[in-house]
Amino acid sequence: MIMKNYDVLLEKLAPRKFGKRGTIWVIFLSIIIVLGLIAYIDQVKKGQIVTNMRDYALWGIYISNFVFFVATSFVGSVTVAILRLTNNTWRTPLVRIAEIITFASIVMAGLTIMIDMGRPDRLLNLFIHARLQSPITWDVIIIPTTIALSFLLLYFPLLPDLAILKKFYKKTKPKLSKWYGKISLNWTGSERQKSIQEKSIKIIAVLIIPVSIMLQTIDAWLFSTTYRIGWDSTNMGAYFISGAFVAGLGALVTMVYVIRKVRGLDYYITEYHFDKLGKFLALACLTYLYFNINEYLIPIFTAPVEEDIHLNSLVFGEWAPIFWFAQIVGLLLPLVILLFRKGRHPKPMLFVGLMVVIGSWWKRYIIVIPTLLHPFLPIEGVPESWHHYFPSAHEWIITFATLAMALLIITLFVRYLPVVPIQRTADEKNTTGIKKNKES
Amino acid sequence: MKNRLKHPLVFFVFIGIFLATGQRAFYAQNTKKHTVRLKMDYTKIMDSVSYLYIKAFSRVDRENIDVPNIDLTVYNEIDNETIELGSVKTNVSGECKFVLKNFNTITSDSSSNFNLQVKFNGNELYKKASKSISFRDASIETNLITKDSVNYVRAILKDSETDSVLSDQLVQVQVQRLFKPLKIGKEFNMTDENGTILVPVDSDIPGINGQLIIEVILADNDDYGTVKALVNAPIGTPIIEESTFDNRTMWSTRNKTPLFLLIFPNLLIFGIWGIIVYLLVNLFKISKS
Repeated sequence: MIMKNYDVLLEKLAPRKFGKRGTIWVIFLSIIIVLGLIAYIDQVKKGQIVTNMRDYALWGIYISNFVFFVATSFVGSVTVAILRLTNNTWRTPLVRIAEIITFASIVMAGLTIMIDMGRPDRLLNLFIHARLQSPITWDVIIIPTTIALSFLLLYFPLLPDLAILKKFYKKTKPKLSKWYGKISLNWTGSERQKSIQEKSIKIIAVLIIPVSIMLQTIDAWLFSTTYRIGWDSTNMGAYFISGAFVAGLGALVTMVYVIRKVRGLDYYITEYHFDKLGKFLALACLTYLYFNINEYLIPIFTAPVEEDIHLNSLVFGEWAPIFWFAQIVGLLLPLVILLFRKGRHPKPMLFVGLMVVIGSWWKRYIIVIPTLLHPFLPIEGVPESWHHYFPSAHEWIITFATLAMALLIITLFVRYLPVVPIQRTADEKNTTGIKKNKES
Repeated sequence: MKNRLKHPLVFFVFIGIFLATGQRAFYAQNTKKHTVRLKMDYTKIMDSVSYLYIKAFSRVDRENIDVPNIDLTVYNEIDNETIELGSVKTNVSGECKFVLKNFNTITSDSSSNFNLQVKFNGNELYKKASKSISFRDASIETNLITKDSVNYVRAILKDSETDSVLSDQLVQVQVQRLFKPLKIGKEFNMTDENGTILVPVDSDIPGINGQLIIEVILADNDDYGTVKALVNAPIGTPIIEESTFDNRTMWSTRNKTPLFLLIFPNLLIFGIWGIIVYLLVNLFKISKS
């Protein structure tokens, strides 16, 4: 009976070929990526004049998109590491998806920074001429570190599953089986291998938390170490961490819903998991709300004139629509929905996830751009268009391409890797059965 | 051609403007030549060079305009003899400086006056012109003295030819500064019967390493021109360098990174990457076990 259950489980969790919808989805993403690539080549050829970034808005949509990717990558640390260290077993069917999102996001964050560089051929100069006093250098160091660590976070727990897939496809797809065999690093499940793997995962789970916090903090310090209105805040590090907590979980909720639906994993990812994720996201939203109050409410009492002008433009002025969209749609409304039990059901959770992700993206936009257009000295002697910023067609296309690339990485991982850990689920299903028997 | 004839008016306007401007240039060849006026000042710096400052200008349409790029020749006139000393060209402001590197290259006349003449030979725009200057050679001897803890600069003004002191002459004393000299002493310092002035120097004047350069000047004198003596006086207040250029700061170059920023981030970087390497080794161990 157990053996039969295991076969069903394996059949259900093993990667599957794309169906018609999957193929269309991949083609759609590929077209956007190709368009983005063409726009990027044009940008490299003509220079950043093709963007709408000028002397004042010298950081635009690329940097806000980068901050969004960095924030989203926090999900790996939150769900995998924190839930693991706090022994929350409900994490099991969600961790792999979180790990994949983390890896895809942080890789795309690194790429987006290069896109923002006027001369990408000078990338090496960031390392050769690095000054440790510069927050840019800290960023240059922490991003590859996080990429390496999030890859290991994804890879170590995968090893037993890859060995299982090697066996599973041995007869039906020998070529694929061979590949799984190679990347499973000859996993046999021996005691020694298990011990090394468990020890390594523990180390990664502990290490990724400070590294992720450092990543988010450095990202915040890129802004707060510059003496600029709206950025010059000691709240920034914690504000960014709590924001990343929300953005990452929003992305996870959305992905979990889509993958569950597409792969028919209702049995493994249940309403119970959505309820738990919902509560977790509600906690994140509450934390973020607290830091938002700190960030925007306190300066109302203490702000000097320049800061007051900036805040007014955010709350009542030209930036108000985006500001309130990010605050209400990206934070308050999801929080209200999540406080109700029905709001934590899968379908409402999808909408909550989407609202959070879209709200989080625009939130980064509102953090980066308005400040640049509010310098201490008045903007004078420049064309009128330099007083404002809205991304050019090149910037939009390239940005959409980066988002598409992140989604394509996730899609390909979902195609070739078991999105719900097979071995661990099998182990837990047994354990859960025993527990239930005992309890009953 | 076809295109041009389509708009004959425009064509004729262009041709008209072209001819008009061309004619003006043509007429310039025949216009009356202007007179060049030369202004000349003689300056002697003790134990250093002497020079003539020359300014060339012209009065055109009731306005003084500078005369640039004209060649001027300087002569030494000794009684009936004239010796060419060299030539110099005016700059865009109509100014130039003729330096006498060695004062001994010029000779005085029988009455101990030095006579220098500057000549301009004329060109297509300006008539020829000349200007002469006559001066006697004077010298200023300077020294620093301290009386009752007060520093003084003392200067003796002499006629070099007769070696006699020059009394009742107005002498300026000032300290060299970056933009404008700082005048010290009384408003008017006149030499006494011994040709001497004694000017106190405040002890709180800042200077690099406490070094001051004090100028004693007989300025624009009718007989002697300008004579200047420079005194290096180590009596100022040393400037304390407040620049952090050589310090390890957050804003210095990378070879001057603050030590805490070298130590702690590097400990973190090597610590984390050390663990990552250890994890990669673990992957290798898994594949081999």
